[in-house]
Amino acid sequence: MRILVILRRVLDPAGLVAHARLRRLFINREEYLIEPGDHAALEAALRIKDGGGAEVVVVSGQPEPDDDTLRRGLAMGADRAIYLSGAGFADADDGVAAEVLKATVERLGGADLVLVGMTRLDTGQAQLGPRLAGALGWPQIVGAWSVEIADGRIRAVRRDGDDYVIVETDLPAVVTVPAKALEPRYPDGARLINVYRGEGGMAEAVLQWDVADLMDPEGLVPLLEGRGRDFPPERERGVRVEGSIEEAAQAVAEALRGRRPG
Amino acid sequence: MDASYLDLVMAQQEETFKDAEGGGGVWVVAESAGGEIAPVTLEAVGVARTLAESLGAYVYAALLGDGVRLLAETLYQAGVDGVRVADHPGLSPFGLEPHLGILVDLFEAEGPEIVLFGATEMGRALAPRLAQRMGGGLIERGTRVSLDPSSRTVEAAVPMYGGEYFEVLACPEARPQVLTIEPGTFARPFMDRYRKGEPTMLDVEPGEPAVRVLGPAEGFRPPEVGLSEASVVVAVGRQAGDRARVERLAEMLGGRVAGDRGAWDAGLVEADQVVDVRGVRVSPEVYLAVGIRGDTFHDAAMADSAFVVAIHADPDAPIFEKADLCVTAEPGEVVRALLTALG
Repeated sequence: MRILVILRRVLDPAGLVAHARLRRLFINREEYLIEPGDHAALEAALRIKDGGGAEVVVVSGQPEPDDDTLRRGLAMGADRAIYLSGAGFADADDGVAAEVLKATVERLGGADLVLVGMTRLDTGQAQLGPRLAGALGWPQIVGAWSVEIADGRIRAVRRDGDDYVIVETDLPAVVTVPAKALEPRYPDGARLINVYRGEGGMAEAVLQWDVADLMDPEGLVPLLEGRGRDFPPERERGVRVEGSIEEAAQAVAEALRGRRPG
Repeated sequence: MDASYLDLVMAQQEETFKDAEGGGGVWVVAESAGGEIAPVTLEAVGVARTLAESLGAYVYAALLGDGVRLLAETLYQAGVDGVRVADHPGLSPFGLEPHLGILVDLFEAEGPEIVLFGATEMGRALAPRLAQRMGGGLIERGTRVSLDPSSRTVEAAVPMYGGEYFEVLACPEARPQVLTIEPGTFARPFMDRYRKGEPTMLDVEPGEPAVRVLGPAEGFRPPEVGLSEASVVVAVGRQAGDRARVERLAEMLGGRVAGDRGAWDAGLVEADQVVDVRGVRVSPEVYLAVGIRGDTFHDAAMADSAFVVAIHADPDAPIFEKADLCVTAEPGEVVRALLTALG
């Protein structure tokens, strides 16, 4: 049983300020997080590994240096890591990424399950998983809150309107995981040190594959292009409450009474 | 007299005319729920109409489901020019493969320029698969949609980090351009009761979905409960003052206690109570910010609150720009006075 988990990175919003009045975006600290959905997807894969054994492979293809994303994955318990290098993939959109990942799955000699985060934290796009399922011709489960494997099938809990339903499909399959579905575990301390050690450590577990070897570079042209930024209108300043603290509290209480639901 | 050049001119003109028609128009993949057309579908029709008017194209809708034939009337009233209906028991409830197969067959024949979906469970599952199969580009959850008429390209603003700012995306080359729109973002079109049409029925034989629904997930509880659905949230910052008073206030208002990242750092709230784009997003009726200065990612996570009261000692605190009611005073003192005033 081999599970491939896609680990993307995303700019940490704590280092960003979007200034609506100046209509500018300030990046004060350029720090990256593991895409929260992907992080939860890795946790789902590791739970399957803990339950019945599986080989968990993490794959990432962001611009260098991106060691930390994969090393964090290894430290959490993944067995192998693949770093997809090469120009073209770094600024690829999901349409291209799906093709590259399909080639990765083939080069890997197949996989039984691909897990990826459902929605990106930054762009809110949720198309990578379904596009990959389409490229591979595998069934897809979008938004699995829990995942179980039994008898060569996958069972997942998915949202259906306001309720949750159990769904089942055959392996291999692509499953996308919402960021809030599972709380990712902390990396194991010894492993965390080990993943940075070359000799006798796990650094060799990171394979580097060149995207150009995987597929024709002509297929790496993004479908989408960015055409600038836009900012929401500023919210109008509210009413200032004047007077003493008691008077202000009275005014707030009045406003809240009028607003209390139910 | 040799008039062959006229043929040439005519042929060229015909060519341009074909170009101007530009394939098969703007399509909406309609969704029905509870025997009615879903509101987001009507919003999508409104967007499609605007795009089609700038393009000089027709608006079509594909309506798939079981017993949905009569709903085509609503689509015509909303402004659709042509409806294709696939009515089959195998199309309800929604299954990916049956729907996808029918839509791919339909669109390969019609060659749509733009395809619109609502960003619902169906749209989220179906739109990327359709785009992938047809080699088109997909922009998900567009909030503002406009058209670059020279290249017939749709430009859609996508909310970044939940609406903190927007990234404008376009799909310049690949066709069709697939878009999903967030429910409730666009206005519904005017329903013209006198507008009528006769839908084209598609002869379909839907396949089996690859994912089977086994039944309700009884006993399953999603890990996150409460705060994000709370109708009153009392959020504290570092300067909130006495914690017990804040809790009493929340109790009196029937709300939940939360905090910003500063409050979490100070140990006033737990990690799952942090209102932040990376923590919990809230959209309550009333959001009471007690001693919160307000930073970009706290503000984005509570931006959907219907009514915001901010209490902070600093008259220049950024939170006041997000608030409907601003109290510039020592937060602890205001909470104490508020408890008296409410009690």
